[in-house]
Amino acid sequence: METFNWIFQFLGRLHPLLVHFPIGLLVVALFFELLTMGGKRQGLREGIHFMVYLGAIFAIIAAFLGWLFYTYDAYSGDLVINHRNTGIATAVCAGITALLLRNTVSGKLLNRRIYQASLVVTVVILTVAGHLGANLTHGEDFLTSVLPGNQESYDDSKGLALLAEIKASDTLSAAQQDRLNLEVRAIFAHNCYQCHSENKQKGELVLENKKGVFKGGKSGPIIVAGKPLESELYRRITLSPNDDEVMPKKGKVLKKNEIDLIKLWIQNGAHWSDQALKVFPEAPLALVKPNLPKVSNQDHPVDKIIDVYFKEQGLAWPKVVDDRTFIRRAYMDIVGLLPAPESITAFVNNTDANKRNVLINELLGDTHNYTQNWLSFWNDLLRNDYSGTGFITGGRKQITDWLYKSLETNKPYDQMVKELVNPTAVSEGFIKGIKWRGVVNASQRTEMQAAQNIGQSLLGVNVKCASCHNSFVSNLTLEQSYGFASVFADSVLELNRCDKPLGKMATVNFLYPELGDVEAATIQERLLKLAEVMVKPENGRLYRTITNRFWKRLMGRGLVEPVDEMDNTPWNADLLDWLAADFIDAGYDLKQLMRRIMTSKAYQLPTAKYKSQEAIKTNYVFEGPLLRRLSAEQFSDAVSQVITPVYAAVAYNPKGEELPEARIWHREVKFDRDVLPEPGKRYFRKTFTLPNKPMLSARALISVDHSYTLYINGKKVSEGEDWRKVDKLDVGDFLIPGKNTIAIEGVNEGNIANPAGILFALKISYENGDIITMNADNSWKSTADQPSKEWVATIFDDSEWAEVRNYGTANWGKLLDFTFEEQESDFARASLVKQHPFMKALGRPSRENVTTSRDEQATLLQALELTNGQFFNSVLEEGAALWLNRYNNDSEAIITELYQKSLGRKPSAEEKNIMLSVLGDNPKKEAVQDIFWSTLILPEFQFIN
Amino acid sequence: MKTQNARRDFIKKMTAASLSASATTIPLASFLSSCSPSISKIASTADTVILLWMAGGMAHTETFDPKAYVPYEKGVESKRILSTFPKIPTAVDGLEFSKGLESIGSVMDKGAIIRSYKSADLGHILHTRHQYHWHTCYEPPQSVQAPHIGAWIAKELGPVNPVIPPFIAMGQRFTVGEAEELKAFHSAGFLGTEYGPFLIPDPSGGLESVRPPQGMSIKRFEARYKLYKELANKSSVMENGSDYQRESLMRSMEQSYRLLNSPEAKVFDLSEEPKEVYDTYNTGRFGLGCLLAKRLAMNGGRFISVSTEYEPFLGWDTHENGHTRLVKMKELIDRPIAQLVKDLDESGHLDRTLIILASEFSRDAIMEGRPGEQVKNQVEQPDIIEDEKFYGMHRHFTDGSSILMWGGGVEKGLVYGKTADERPCSSIENPVVIDQVHQSIYHALGIPPETHYTIEGRPFYTTPDGLGKPLLDLFGKPLKKDVEKA
Repeated sequence: METFNWIFQFLGRLHPLLVHFPIGLLVVALFFELLTMGGKRQGLREGIHFMVYLGAIFAIIAAFLGWLFYTYDAYSGDLVINHRNTGIATAVCAGITALLLRNTVSGKLLNRRIYQASLVVTVVILTVAGHLGANLTHGEDFLTSVLPGNQESYDDSKGLALLAEIKASDTLSAAQQDRLNLEVRAIFAHNCYQCHSENKQKGELVLENKKGVFKGGKSGPIIVAGKPLESELYRRITLSPNDDEVMPKKGKVLKKNEIDLIKLWIQNGAHWSDQALKVFPEAPLALVKPNLPKVSNQDHPVDKIIDVYFKEQGLAWPKVVDDRTFIRRAYMDIVGLLPAPESITAFVNNTDANKRNVLINELLGDTHNYTQNWLSFWNDLLRNDYSGTGFITGGRKQITDWLYKSLETNKPYDQMVKELVNPTAVSEGFIKGIKWRGVVNASQRTEMQAAQNIGQSLLGVNVKCASCHNSFVSNLTLEQSYGFASVFADSVLELNRCDKPLGKMATVNFLYPELGDVEAATIQERLLKLAEVMVKPENGRLYRTITNRFWKRLMGRGLVEPVDEMDNTPWNADLLDWLAADFIDAGYDLKQLMRRIMTSKAYQLPTAKYKSQEAIKTNYVFEGPLLRRLSAEQFSDAVSQVITPVYAAVAYNPKGEELPEARIWHREVKFDRDVLPEPGKRYFRKTFTLPNKPMLSARALISVDHSYTLYINGKKVSEGEDWRKVDKLDVGDFLIPGKNTIAIEGVNEGNIANPAGILFALKISYENGDIITMNADNSWKSTADQPSKEWVATIFDDSEWAEVRNYGTANWGKLLDFTFEEQESDFARASLVKQHPFMKALGRPSRENVTTSRDEQATLLQALELTNGQFFNSVLEEGAALWLNRYNNDSEAIITELYQKSLGRKPSAEEKNIMLSVLGDNPKKEAVQDIFWSTLILPEFQFIN
Repeated sequence: MKTQNARRDFIKKMTAASLSASATTIPLASFLSSCSPSISKIASTADTVILLWMAGGMAHTETFDPKAYVPYEKGVESKRILSTFPKIPTAVDGLEFSKGLESIGSVMDKGAIIRSYKSADLGHILHTRHQYHWHTCYEPPQSVQAPHIGAWIAKELGPVNPVIPPFIAMGQRFTVGEAEELKAFHSAGFLGTEYGPFLIPDPSGGLESVRPPQGMSIKRFEARYKLYKELANKSSVMENGSDYQRESLMRSMEQSYRLLNSPEAKVFDLSEEPKEVYDTYNTGRFGLGCLLAKRLAMNGGRFISVSTEYEPFLGWDTHENGHTRLVKMKELIDRPIAQLVKDLDESGHLDRTLIILASEFSRDAIMEGRPGEQVKNQVEQPDIIEDEKFYGMHRHFTDGSSILMWGGGVEKGLVYGKTADERPCSSIENPVVIDQVHQSIYHALGIPPETHYTIEGRPFYTTPDGLGKPLLDLFGKPLKKDVEKA
């Protein structure tokens, strides 16, 4: 069977040929049938009959062949199915028509109309089938593409004007020559690139660049300068639309003025301009501060512009939000924390007319919290994280410390950019990218990542497309991307198109060469030059991009969207330019930029109502800020503030490390390999000697995952079962001069192997000023076997025990409270915490790539995490115990406090009653936990209104 | 093009509307608008996929593609070692497996084997990088985050049963070495967390993930939700802002509440299984994962992966003692996998469930990488073996490995492709690459090969550039020239 497949395949392929018989025959038959209406032209009758019979036979054969074609030539898809079905329907109808005709002729069927109707139906279905078939062979837009309005439309008024101007002048100026050439290239771009680009070189012809145009294609040169009539290009575009050789393609030819322009261009010597062709709209680089509109009823510059905008849109200024809403908004936006109930009351009662501006200034002055809140924004933007791919093989570096300090000192933005682009060791992580072990795609080499990330994060331009091939969405070319990437490379890069080397070397270049050149002998010199070029005030792009990001962060939607595509049109260009220029004037001061936006009335408007997400994406009209969801970090921090600390340990501690942070545990081995410890009890010991002199104090810090009992010299000192809590103990009474032994019984809970570890530090101060410290480290010993009773005593012989293993910090982070300082225990700000499943579920991105917009969509996985996630529920459970204790089991106090702290207001009488009915007079921990949960997932809590 | 999009939207809306009419719990997935211009539709042969992941690099010559057996003796030359187990027959005439896989062998008449899978050549061997590539079809790093195949399927098809998350990943913990690299591909990438994996590291605790929080009675759980609803209704201060935002938040909470309160959650309860069934499957976490996968497949799971778990130098990642450790690994997988196939077959679910067994690459006794593309040796292997711990496949081999498939329209008893019988045991007939594997899975599910989304202005396809083609031969269709070449 298999060997005869070719026959079926061959027959199948006759289908496209054969279908034309039934089409021709049946259509003509119907046409003749119409001609015979009213008894005229009866001479046609016999011919009609033959045509119908033949047409029907061919229709059936064609359908059969079509079936073979479909089966043996692996076609698939809706279109084929539809074509198949209508094709079969045609064959069936044609058959029926033929039968009806025979019966009509033989007189069995008296009414000829039935046959005629059947013929009409057949031809209609045939037309549909034929059309679908044509779509299959010629593409779906074969017919419709030439309809007016469906042609690729671009503004050719410019072309027409140029044509008129050039026709009128005898000799062309250099500028005119340039314009003419650019216009011709625009025509190429819109009509020819589809087939004749670097990406797709049909007939070996490339019309995208000078070299390609003058080299010509497979059949030789296409342009003879000065002689259009001898130029192949001109010949091909002027052929009849039906000619097989016509270009751009049969059925689609250039407009007359386009042909004329090309002719003129060749006639005038086919000059090639050095200017780059801009096919896609591109935002101007330069930034000119617009004059503020003369609006007397608004004082703030932003409001003056918005006032004009509102008038244009026919909108009136809404009333600004009340104090409670404002203070929550301002707190969340600047410091990422909820205002304390006392602060709210004081603010509301404050009668100072300028109090909102004062508050903004106060909050901007809270450097510590401002930094910890905005760190997340910058981490997302600069692809910086505490964990993630690449770190394992040293292929990635953090810039956390640099970033934290830059925000803390409110480093001018131009300086930040310079340090990112031309980095020192602390900030080089940004352009170093993420390097995986092994061979990577050419478009993902770290130099290209640097180009892509600088493009996206700092300049709002997509270099990613153009790192594989000339971009389809912007004017960027492969050459430009490689030229830019080469700035960061040890040696000049070879161009690769879609991971295939082209044998062509890049020319070092900045994406916007008009700003200055970056060519130099060494990377260091190039980076220095690039840094200077990047931050020039003429580079309006850099400043518009960051301004737009801040606007989005504070208002919910950018002036330009998406925020990474800064060539898109802003909804108010003057506003964007004014703010960006003002940002430059104010010394690139990021806090000042925030102040500018936040002190405007526009920022203080009520959140605007939109019907759907679509209305925010397209045809957007600004009516006020958007309702914004608390970010993962803000939500976690708010819960920490209201209930009890969510996180106790950080991945980055700006204060630096006072004590070792690595945990120890029994070394567990499987197949000769270190593995995670199995659940169960483990025993740890350390014997050490102390001098005999007067002791002032001895303090121990201990935290064990999962639980422990601590003994010193055989006596039990303490127990604990929460690794996030540091037990701070006075142990002076347990210590003696000479040999001492610390013994810890640790338990690892769970069903399967999982992280466990001991963090322990001891600090002994002597009267003479000496200090001895002793931390848990590799010199400790451990066993998994239950030892004899005296194992806690110094006399016990632990020589058979094994050396413990250092389990590092990765699974726990750095406990903020693990310090001998008697500080008020604070919660760990979520922005400093390593990526965690809870925050991940709430939308904190894994920063493998630059992330400039977080997904605000509520998802089921997120809701599940909040509803039954063990992590969140255990926080609430802990909090409930704490609150019962703190408020003395007083239900009313708990309810009032909860509302004040979380929602910034008192509960209504009704709300209070609902809650009281749950808590009762003698509240249980579970009930408190449940009112916590119910409050924290309220939209009122989860949104910044 | 335009008309087709319109039609697709229409179908989508219809589906969403009929779903909302019929089911009380609608996955958010069905509300999200899709921008994937799926051009053609293909008939599906499967609704559910179970991926049995042999993490760490499973040697084909020691498992499903045995070569000449060389027993251990002191002083044996490494280069002579091709297989350390004898061959055994299977239910398919002429198909032989390695000793220890008798049960899986006995169900091969219900499935197919690809013996010519070639892993990508990624230079240095980093297990998780090859795993990333296997699961996403893209080599990391990428300029946007690539979605896991399970996330693509969740996005395109949604759940079968609205209360069972469409993408469930079992068996892998993320506290092990290379955890960050593992997390990087256990992700929906740019498709959004909605389609990300529902992680169940320990299948015996699977039920906890879909029930009210531990220690909370159903009664209390219901009361808590009622309280929240009441308070939300009373909270009158939210007059501004768009309603759809608040509604989407409240809807997601409601769905989660219904899911967790649904009687169908007992699907995740392994204690419902009769003791003898439980015992048959219980070879460890992997075996119980197979048992849970069976229950999920029978009750409307969509994409379920069960991993033997990757942990550097453990599991299939044998850097020494290869032979003895493989005895254990085979014990871990043999019985439960065979039972899974049998149980789904007997219940009739195998017809619409595609089971795939695969690994990121294979192993060899002396070759690291592949012929012509050898990379740095990562394991010391003496030329002459004086210690049994050197007896086994300890190096990473990327030029040939086996993939097993059952059900979901896959031709029964098919043996596809071939590796050489002498070292290097490379794929020498019908080599298969990951794009084809992915497209074959999509093909079985009726997801067209050109499926893609536009992200940051660029089309991102299920397989790179949308060029991958399914292996139609797996589904009993005639061999195509272009497929053969790839």
